[in-house]
Amino acid sequence: MTAQIQVEKLVKEYRVHERGAGAWASLRSLFKRQYRAARAVDELSFSIAAGERVGFLGPNGAGKTTTLKVLSGLLHPTAGTVRVDGFDPRKRDFDFLRRITLVMGQKQQLLWDLPPVDTFAMNRAIYDIPRREFDETVAELTTLLDLGPLIKRPTRQLSLGERMKCELVAALLHRPKVLFLDEPTIGLDVSMQLTMRAFIRDYNERFGATVLLTSHYMDDVAALCPRVVVIDKGRLIYDGDLAALVRKVRPQKRVVVRLSDGKTETHDVPDGELQSCIAKLLQRGVVDLTVEDPPLEDVMRDLFLGNHAA
Amino acid sequence: MRYLRLFVVQLRASVQVTMQYRAEFFVGVFMALFYVAWNLIPMFVLWGQRTTIAGWTLEEAALVTAWFTLLRALLDGAVQPSLQAVVEHIRKGTLDFVLLKPADAQFLVSTAKFEVMNFFDASAAVALVLWALHRLHRVPSPAQIGAALLLTVAAAALLYALAILVISAAFYVVRLDNLIYLFNSVFDAGRWPASVFRGTWRIIFTFVVPLALMTTYPALALLGRLETSTTAIALGGALAFVIVARAVWKRSIGHYRSASS
Repeated sequence: MTAQIQVEKLVKEYRVHERGAGAWASLRSLFKRQYRAARAVDELSFSIAAGERVGFLGPNGAGKTTTLKVLSGLLHPTAGTVRVDGFDPRKRDFDFLRRITLVMGQKQQLLWDLPPVDTFAMNRAIYDIPRREFDETVAELTTLLDLGPLIKRPTRQLSLGERMKCELVAALLHRPKVLFLDEPTIGLDVSMQLTMRAFIRDYNERFGATVLLTSHYMDDVAALCPRVVVIDKGRLIYDGDLAALVRKVRPQKRVVVRLSDGKTETHDVPDGELQSCIAKLLQRGVVDLTVEDPPLEDVMRDLFLGNHAA
Repeated sequence: MRYLRLFVVQLRASVQVTMQYRAEFFVGVFMALFYVAWNLIPMFVLWGQRTTIAGWTLEEAALVTAWFTLLRALLDGAVQPSLQAVVEHIRKGTLDFVLLKPADAQFLVSTAKFEVMNFFDASAAVALVLWALHRLHRVPSPAQIGAALLLTVAAAALLYALAILVISAAFYVVRLDNLIYLFNSVFDAGRWPASVFRGTWRIIFTFVVPLALMTTYPALALLGRLETSTTAIALGGALAFVIVARAVWKRSIGHYRSASS
């Protein structure tokens, strides 16, 4: 299969100006500035096939958002090449822009004073979507997201979760083939997160769309993405199967037992010793026992602390 | 054709926003009319002392004021709101959404917001023209009306080009309030006939910020006192401004760094 998203040795540097603390330094920086090139993305390479769902992970400032912005043509790479569905994003070819969408959990495109339907209508005009196709898509997406009459209420009266759902509809009206989702579930409660997840998966399966997703909620990634790309300080540190990553970084299972005396114990057990450990525990009057993978948060923390070079 | 439809959609959204706030709507109508009257007061005071100033009678100068009011309405109604919206977009990083759309970004930002209320100012300006012509007992020839209309279009284009140049600066300096304020203050000089100004000011208002072209020339055309060659030069000048503004905009947009989320 040919790659739909191809990133090769991508470098993105920002020019930042630096100054020391204090009034004197402020004054001096007014006239003579010291610039430093900050490398947000450092020789990053990966490729994603059409229809894949990939989680893009990394601590704050790792370069995730920068990479997504380069992929969607908002920022120009300093070096390296990027291709998305055969296009060079930085040219911002209209045919390219019709194929992609970028959803940012922290920025919104909905018109604040008007109901979301008006933003939808505006996007219909911008993307030149035929009326019938538009009506179908709106009906389909609003049903999937359980929005109903909400889309006719002014945006400013909607809750954060309702707004985010409408943002998704606005971003998907033109049925893009490539979805860049940057923290789409940020600030949402658990049930809303579940709805969003189900929706993203559904969209991916229904339209065969490619999804590249960043999220702070590891559960999002675990539920949605069989494959993860992990970066830190702009560099690739892992690319592959999520389950394999977990096994590699924390080759342990977490065993939680509730004992007959009401106490609960948690044991992190190496893979090979699982059987003997459980056998031992069972002799102590167990009421409940679960075996699970270690929480993804812990796995990531270990990974970024550099305890395990992946 | 597609852009025309886009324009209509954007305009409709602005009208809807205005209609949402009913009380503001009626206050706005009142304010518009009051503002036009308020602008005329200094003229009556000045021309109360003498019959002509720099060769202009009150009624002739009123024509200049009418065009000033019209362009002011255009500036406040169609240009300035979008301009401020862009500044806000750049500061918050939501210009991302504009740049992600498969349509010309300059078109999208400049049609993003209209203050519909300024339609009333514009109507008042037209009424002022009719009043002045009536007092002057003058019926302009179709050619003169045509020239005045053509110059009005050129003036609007010029105003828009200047606004685009100011917006382009926003990509470099981010905080733009002062520049917009300066632009507004300078524009206010356009209420007076250009020949009132002498020396350096005259040069500035003719070539740097061509206020003369925007407000005095259309009035002169209506009075039949503008040479055809001047009209041609004015139109050419406006076109040049538009071309330069477009080029500067294209360059500036490459400078956009997109605020981090």
